[in-house]
Amino acid sequence: MSDRFVEIIEATDPALRDRSLESLCEGLSADELLAGCAALDAYRRRCDNLYQRVRALFFLYAIHRFHLPALGALRERGEIPYEGHERLLGRRFGEAIETFLSVQERDGASVAVSSALAAAYHQLAFQTLADQVRRSVRSVRGNQWMFRVGHPADHPLRIRPELVDDTRPTLRERTPVRMDLSHSCWSDIFFLGMDLPEAARVVNASVDLGVHGRDAQPEPPIEARLRVIDEPVLRLRSIDLEAEADLCELGEVFDFAKDYLGLLKAAVIAAGVVPPGVEGSGQSLAELLERLCGPGRGLEIESRVRDIPKGSRLAVSTNLLASLIAVMMRATGQAASLTGPLRESERRIVAARAILGEWIGGSGGGWQDSGGVWPGIKLIHGRIAGDDDPEYGVSRGRLLPDHEILDVPPTLRTSIEQSLILVHGGMAQDVGPILEMVTERYLLRSEREWAARQHAVSELDRLLDVLRGGSLGDLSELTANNFAGPIQDVIPWASNLFTERVIERVRARFGEDYLGFAMLGGMSGGGMGFFFEPNVRSEARVVLREIMLETKRELERGLPFAMDPVVYDFAVNENGTTCEFVEGPIASAVSSRDASPETNGRGSEAELHTRLDELGFDRAEHERIREGLVSGRLGLAQNRLPQDSELADVEASDFVDVTAGSDDEATRAGEQLLSDGTVAVVTLAAGAASRWTQGAGVVKSLHPFHRFAGAHRNFLELHIAKSRRRARLSGAVIPHVFTTSHLTHEPIERFVGGLPADPAVPVHLSLGRSVGLRTVPTERDLRFLWEESAQQVLDERAQKVRESLQAALIGWAREAGEASDYTDNLPSQCLHPVGHWYEVPNLLRNGTLRALLEEQPSLRYLLLHNIDTTGADVDPGLLGLHARSGRCLSFEVVARHVEDVGGGLARVNGRPRLVEGLAMPREEDEAKLSFFSSMTTWIDIDRLLGVFGLDRAALATPGAVDAAVAKFAERMPTYVTIRDVKKRWGHGQEDVFPVTQFERLWGDMSTLDDVSCGYFAVPRFRGQQLKEAAQLDGWSRDGSAEFVAGLCAWADE
Amino acid sequence: MNITRAVITAAGPAQRSLPLQQLVDFDGREKAALEILCAEATGAGIRSICIVVHPGDTERYRDATEGVAADVEFVEQEKPTGYADALLAARDFVGGDSFLHLVGDHVWVATRGESCAKVLVERAIAENALVSAVQPTRETKLPFFGTVGARRVEGSADLWEVQKVVEKPTPTLAEQELVVPGLRAGHYLCFFGMHVLTPGFVAMLEQEVARDDRDRGAEFAHALSRLAGQERVLALELPGQRYNLGEKYGILTAQLAMALGGDERDEVMARLIEVLGELRVASS
Repeated sequence: MSDRFVEIIEATDPALRDRSLESLCEGLSADELLAGCAALDAYRRRCDNLYQRVRALFFLYAIHRFHLPALGALRERGEIPYEGHERLLGRRFGEAIETFLSVQERDGASVAVSSALAAAYHQLAFQTLADQVRRSVRSVRGNQWMFRVGHPADHPLRIRPELVDDTRPTLRERTPVRMDLSHSCWSDIFFLGMDLPEAARVVNASVDLGVHGRDAQPEPPIEARLRVIDEPVLRLRSIDLEAEADLCELGEVFDFAKDYLGLLKAAVIAAGVVPPGVEGSGQSLAELLERLCGPGRGLEIESRVRDIPKGSRLAVSTNLLASLIAVMMRATGQAASLTGPLRESERRIVAARAILGEWIGGSGGGWQDSGGVWPGIKLIHGRIAGDDDPEYGVSRGRLLPDHEILDVPPTLRTSIEQSLILVHGGMAQDVGPILEMVTERYLLRSEREWAARQHAVSELDRLLDVLRGGSLGDLSELTANNFAGPIQDVIPWASNLFTERVIERVRARFGEDYLGFAMLGGMSGGGMGFFFEPNVRSEARVVLREIMLETKRELERGLPFAMDPVVYDFAVNENGTTCEFVEGPIASAVSSRDASPETNGRGSEAELHTRLDELGFDRAEHERIREGLVSGRLGLAQNRLPQDSELADVEASDFVDVTAGSDDEATRAGEQLLSDGTVAVVTLAAGAASRWTQGAGVVKSLHPFHRFAGAHRNFLELHIAKSRRRARLSGAVIPHVFTTSHLTHEPIERFVGGLPADPAVPVHLSLGRSVGLRTVPTERDLRFLWEESAQQVLDERAQKVRESLQAALIGWAREAGEASDYTDNLPSQCLHPVGHWYEVPNLLRNGTLRALLEEQPSLRYLLLHNIDTTGADVDPGLLGLHARSGRCLSFEVVARHVEDVGGGLARVNGRPRLVEGLAMPREEDEAKLSFFSSMTTWIDIDRLLGVFGLDRAALATPGAVDAAVAKFAERMPTYVTIRDVKKRWGHGQEDVFPVTQFERLWGDMSTLDDVSCGYFAVPRFRGQQLKEAAQLDGWSRDGSAEFVAGLCAWADE
Repeated sequence: MNITRAVITAAGPAQRSLPLQQLVDFDGREKAALEILCAEATGAGIRSICIVVHPGDTERYRDATEGVAADVEFVEQEKPTGYADALLAARDFVGGDSFLHLVGDHVWVATRGESCAKVLVERAIAENALVSAVQPTRETKLPFFGTVGARRVEGSADLWEVQKVVEKPTPTLAEQELVVPGLRAGHYLCFFGMHVLTPGFVAMLEQEVARDDRDRGAEFAHALSRLAGQERVLALELPGQRYNLGEKYGILTAQLAMALGGDERDEVMARLIEVLGELRVASS
């Protein structure tokens, strides 16, 4: 039995090899699954075949992540040793697995340890795959020599003599972008192409672009220029990013994140002009340039993408890299011709170098992305590795695909051009997690996804037939069905509410004249295509933009948009990348950045100060905090409890275990309390969701994150739906309060205003009364965060880029002024909510609680929870337990999994309390804790008022309430945190800056002696939080989503 | 195949003085480099030598070849139109015969017994084919040499069948098209400056030069490459070293190699050590 998994991995018969893991695990007991894991682990250690090894790793991950916990047979709690956690962060995944396995061996299996093993196997699998791609990129013939050149004297390239004549001519390479018409379910991911080359096929067109209404006609959007100059420097310039630098040292060429020229630098290296082998050699760039161009000479290289916004899903950055590499290869004789198109063998090497450049620069792309280098519409397909390929014996397929130019009938080509409208929807999203999901599902052969992939393969055959002689209608039908079918069957997250609403409105507006949709890249929302009957195309361009803009306006507070939608004009490019000599000097020096708010990403200081005044900003406290930051009294290191604090795990008497449910008596009591109308729900919705969107400043509560009952729903709708169900079951009214802040109030108010009123769940908003102004971090805090705190180490190249970026950001902090006000951004991005502790006192201060009590005097309890605690609801059993305890507060905790970092339930100096991650005396202390705080709290209203020195009657006296809250606030610790904030500028460009803010946190109520607190250990489905969008996939598959759906009653049901 | 003729090209404007450079030969006697080249040829059984020179150089070169044990003819290349034209300037001299070709800016030092040219000529006669002498060369030197892509002749340790020839390739191209199995990574078979050429090759070279889109400077490589598609073209690794007099310190290096490989090795070694010692004292 235990070898069954290995047999499947090793099977040569596809029917056996392609069996899903689900089918293998079905009906197996925990012991059988654990025996299977032991066999798989032994197998992955002895297996020489890369892909079999990786598949074994993914099986191990999935069994520990999904199949073992789902059985409910393992105990929840288990020790996750800090040593293992530290190894995970240090990318020493193999050693981390050893650590976790030894704990499993010693203590027996637990869900907690399985979570750690799942994380370690998952990361090891991806590391193994990435290492293989990297090795393959380096071993492509034509790339290898660059890693052997370690000294300028060995540089084997010479600039072409034509470029050093007296006129110093300029070469201009112009390159189209690529449009992926077929999207065969992300089959262009390297791993897929290398494992299943037969299925790795895409139809990809090279296109010229113009922004509709701005540009006269479509042109190749990418331009790279090069000329020899009489200075021994490498002069790099990006016209779009308005950045220019003269590089004089070799080290600067490898410093990617120092400025906006990282892509140009990666191209210089990947083109062999500065071969990667010289990195760290300590040699001179001037000597290298002399060898290449002659004494006293250097190179000037410039890039421009004609303001095509980022996130267009047209592989702009890969094709820009390819364009730069092509022009440098021509200039150094690596391509035969200085002008005109490239030869096929040269295009292939440019594509390989672009992949290399992406790896060097720490970014990533798919294998079809350099498609703009080739002309026209082509089929790009994987190839089985032959015995003269470096991949032979390692993977089934080659790293580099083949390109077959398709002979599309001119009439159809013209029809496509006259029918298809390309757009950028404006959304900016990271496709990385989607690509990981695709890889994982592929290797697990999940049934639904595998069937969808097979379907996509047959759809591509149909698409090829259509392109050889079919009609426009057939084509648009195929791309639309592909999006609605296979693509979303593999990854439901490829779609989103914005895209669907736009499609729906376009269909409603144009009826049969709308022919279909095409997703152009990793996910929808950015670059997309809409087919229309050619006769309505002109009108459709205008209307489509209006629809997108209108839809964006509705959703932009919940979904991350980088810019307003754009409509492009396009034409198929029949040349691929081409080069010519151009007259005169290279472009004039970079002009100063446009100062208008749309492009420079900052608002006026006056506007910021007006906002601060409106929001009751406490400048005196701000100055006190600034003084503390400057003097070193406040800072990340000072958040910690004293080093001599004794921190231990809680004992059985410290909490009530409700993981198997509450007792009947408590449940009955709770049901009665519910029926009596004693409970209201408070959902914390004031935060800016900095982890959810990496500081994009959207309102998380309005993010339509999942489909429930057939529709995309946001967090706010979800929480109301849970209250509605409990209200229906109990026949009571359950008021539901959402706490808001300056960041979230107005959009939430607008959204709530649009909801149908439900008398059983009256919704209230509680506007925050406190706001902080972010400050520039101190160097001391940045160094503490990046150098002294445990951080996830990245892949080798990405880590180098990150270190370079961190050095640049420390320089920025010094230059901008440590602890000075952060004002160089939109006002909303400069302000911050001051921590969720304030949100409960705000209910008292802003009259919300008073209003609730007036409306419903029977209220006695509040259920407080975070916006992202999807499983929290008014559970009668827990309510009954809390009421019975007679305590002021009951906090819900969950058994800690490896990803639960940031605090937990502990005994500190012998007393149980919640400890924030920031306050841990030593980082390793967190590993001692079995429980993680879910933040969900049952509150006894009258006892809480008592703690503040108030009662129900006193709520009518605002002065007394304010004074009581101010007095109480002084007892709460202040934490300094560093958060990421995005600054948007240019055309969809984003920079992320670390900023300092301070916070007071609700969990610290448990530290106060006069507040009686209890703790409930609840099931994970109830207590877990969705902090990052990348968690969604696991959440939707491990039963959590189903559990949550069962708690809801939708208004439209 | 009977090889009695040799062609030495010495017409390059940048190399006009090199063949006249005085060097001390293996036997300790001072000679012009050209005389040493001619001796390399005559040692291989050559009886007639044609030297292609820059217009006006004939007399100076004639003086340098007075003691050569062969008939020496001079042909002046009227215009500096490149290497291929220089070689074709000797086409009347070679007639319809195969011939030995040496470049005028190199000297060769054999590391095992017989001279490099002698080994080459004997192998060409034995194989009855065009043979280019080659040497495994690091990729960093590719900008200086014609390079061949080849397959080893079965049963032979030093002979390859040529498939492709590229003049001064980039390492990018070399890695894709010129990798020779059996050589160390990053090493390629590069020309040694010495070939036995055939009438078929001369005809091919004429065609290359006559092309409208002639690739000036690379005609020799193109012709050889095309010929390899039609007849057997071989490359031979010789037991010796080539020294390019035209590169920086090229003359010094060639002289050192000849001196250390010749009759007066001990004396030269002693002098070298003396110089090194003095410099060490001076710098300390």
